[in-house]
Amino acid sequence: MRVSDRLTVWCRRIAVMTRKELLQLFRDIPLMAFLIYSFTLSVYVTGNGIQTQLKNAGLLVSDADRSVSSRELISRFHSPYFRFDGELAHPNEGFVRLDRGGSMMVLDIPTRFHEALVSGESTAVQLLVDTTNSPQGLSAAGYAARIVGQFSQELIMTRNGQTGSSSTTVPMILSDHRVWFNQDQNETWFESISHLLRMITIFAVLLPAAALVREKERGTVEQLLVSPLTPAQIMLPKVVAMTLVILGATAVALFGVMLPVFGVPIRGSVSLLFLLTALFIVATAGIGVFASTVTKNQAQVGMMTLLVVAPMLLLSGIFTPLETMPAWVRYLMALSPLRYFIEIATGILLKGIGLEMLWSQALSMLALGVSLFGFGMWRFRRQFR
Amino acid sequence: MNVRRVAAVAFKEWREVTRDRIFLLLAFCMPAVWMFVFGYGLVLDVEHISFVVVDRDHSSLSRDYLYRFYQSRYFSFQGELADEGEADAWLKSGKARAVIIVPEKFQERLLSGQPANIQTLIDGTFPLRADITKGYTIAINNAYNVDLLADHLARTRGLSRDEALRRTRPLGLEVRYLYNEEVRSTWSTVPALIMFSLMVSSPLLTALGVVREKETGSIYNIYSATVSRMEFLVGKLVPYVMISLINVVVLWLMAVLLFAVPFKGSLLLFFASSILFILTSTGIGLTVSLLVSTQQAALIITVVVSTVPTILFSGLIVPVSSLSQAAQFQAHLFPGMYYTNIVRGTFLKNVGPAVLWPDVLALAVYAAALGAIGYRLFTKRPSV
Repeated sequence: MRVSDRLTVWCRRIAVMTRKELLQLFRDIPLMAFLIYSFTLSVYVTGNGIQTQLKNAGLLVSDADRSVSSRELISRFHSPYFRFDGELAHPNEGFVRLDRGGSMMVLDIPTRFHEALVSGESTAVQLLVDTTNSPQGLSAAGYAARIVGQFSQELIMTRNGQTGSSSTTVPMILSDHRVWFNQDQNETWFESISHLLRMITIFAVLLPAAALVREKERGTVEQLLVSPLTPAQIMLPKVVAMTLVILGATAVALFGVMLPVFGVPIRGSVSLLFLLTALFIVATAGIGVFASTVTKNQAQVGMMTLLVVAPMLLLSGIFTPLETMPAWVRYLMALSPLRYFIEIATGILLKGIGLEMLWSQALSMLALGVSLFGFGMWRFRRQFR
Repeated sequence: MNVRRVAAVAFKEWREVTRDRIFLLLAFCMPAVWMFVFGYGLVLDVEHISFVVVDRDHSSLSRDYLYRFYQSRYFSFQGELADEGEADAWLKSGKARAVIIVPEKFQERLLSGQPANIQTLIDGTFPLRADITKGYTIAINNAYNVDLLADHLARTRGLSRDEALRRTRPLGLEVRYLYNEEVRSTWSTVPALIMFSLMVSSPLLTALGVVREKETGSIYNIYSATVSRMEFLVGKLVPYVMISLINVVVLWLMAVLLFAVPFKGSLLLFFASSILFILTSTGIGLTVSLLVSTQQAALIITVVVSTVPTILFSGLIVPVSSLSQAAQFQAHLFPGMYYTNIVRGTFLKNVGPAVLWPDVLALAVYAAALGAIGYRLFTKRPSV
């Protein structure tokens, strides 16, 4: 047989097997329905719903002064960061209300507050913060400090006989922030992107893992092995079929939800995005393939993959910034394709950059994919000897 | 319900679990491993934000100002750019998350009593990080302003430096942190991780329970046996509930002994609600198992249904109160949120049933509803 003939046969076999895998997938109605839900409605609710910045932090006020100044200060704790939950009759009531939950902090304004400010003395207000959720508590305290600081600064201006606009004769630094790539700090963009990545990861690991183990569990893999197919021709079509399905779902999420509803921009190249998404799916599928070769049934493979996937989802930098991670986590996450793909996805979509800046991430993903697959393939062959 | 028949089904299921060594090992290891990895790894204090500077002034004052950023543990200095034009490449490649630009005449303006603009360019791709970066720079600028003002007042009014400093702070803020007085990130994540580990692992344990028998055909033994629907379902669940019960004790011990999180509330309340929570989470797995016909579908649906809302909508990191309406609705549909309230309440707040009863009740309703749904869905006379 000539080389070209062999190649045609090889391709035909792959194509036939891929078709078989696709048919098998599409016949599983609940699974397909769930796939559609995951890439449409779920992306919508999450993109729309998650707000990582401080929002609606419930504030209770105990105002012992009831003056112009105290009311002015209270009015500065406004939405979207704070939500006014009412005034307390007695300061001690604050503890009870915080115990009950719902409200997050209590602002306590002392008597003679106004008097002290007018007469040029210094005074202080007290803030009780519920830190059962520590980052939120710190963030709320930070915003409160900003508000009080601003209030204080304006007071100095007034005391020095300068009102409002003529702050020009005081030496101070004016903070001027420009947020790039997402001027309005629109959270739906990042949250919908990260949710899409989360879904791709789950499906890309679990679909091929379960499909490969199923053949083992049912014994149909024996049939395939006695056919003229090589192990690669058995394994590859599964990955190809799943990749096609997930890529299709990604396109639906991107063009059906994220672009029209959230206005997520595509500033870079769409074809590059899909090419690298395919690479990401294949690399991530490598984890599933690997897990499928060390387990015997679907229960095992489910546990095994979830054991690995949960840390990937939480620690790859799609949930909290990678900078926050301790060094050992950052080293560990070098093994997670998701850690590179989040930079690629946000890079292409929001920053509009191309391979010239993303080559190292793409290469790392490629290296991970090749080694996971190589190892998986080796195990796959070996276990049937 | 015949206890002997339930015991027989439970025993059969238990044998199946214990024979599968890998499964058994993973069932016990998974929650503990997660607790370990996330307890130490899921740190929420954002530090080491990489930044570069463009210093157009090159004065002693500009260096003095920038020094505050170099020193801060929140920032990590990457280098100085000769020209603002380079900022673009640094931000785009992700090598820097912020660029601080000191304008010309920075020192001149400040010394002559005029304000100076500091421009900060921030990478906004990750809004949380952008927001935190902004907060840190404002805090540093404000602290610097207080010093500037004090110096200015001391110079122009002839006040002592202490007196000038006092005048720059007419209004102070005394913050007192409650429940987690030292604001330790582990104290707030570790209790919630008990919820996470249980909520993600126990549905999966059960998920394949019924569908596996359907897929392999062994369910026909059950159809033709004398065991009733209820007896079968209860027997099926018992081993998995037991595994999760052991896990919750292990997780509690890890939280208290390994991570030294104080447990201030009532043990009885904690473990009683944990049982309810385990019933609901295993119930979710069982329901999925009854709805689908392949193990593959059961696996994926369970993972998505248990993992995603647990990460996003159960108060693990993002509090439920700051979610959108639709997401809050979804949060209330999943049991994780209620259990988070109970876990944080009993660990850190020392609140009792007087405060937590709505959450306990919600879990009880959830468990009962799932039981009823499972009972309705399972039939011994399938149409196909």
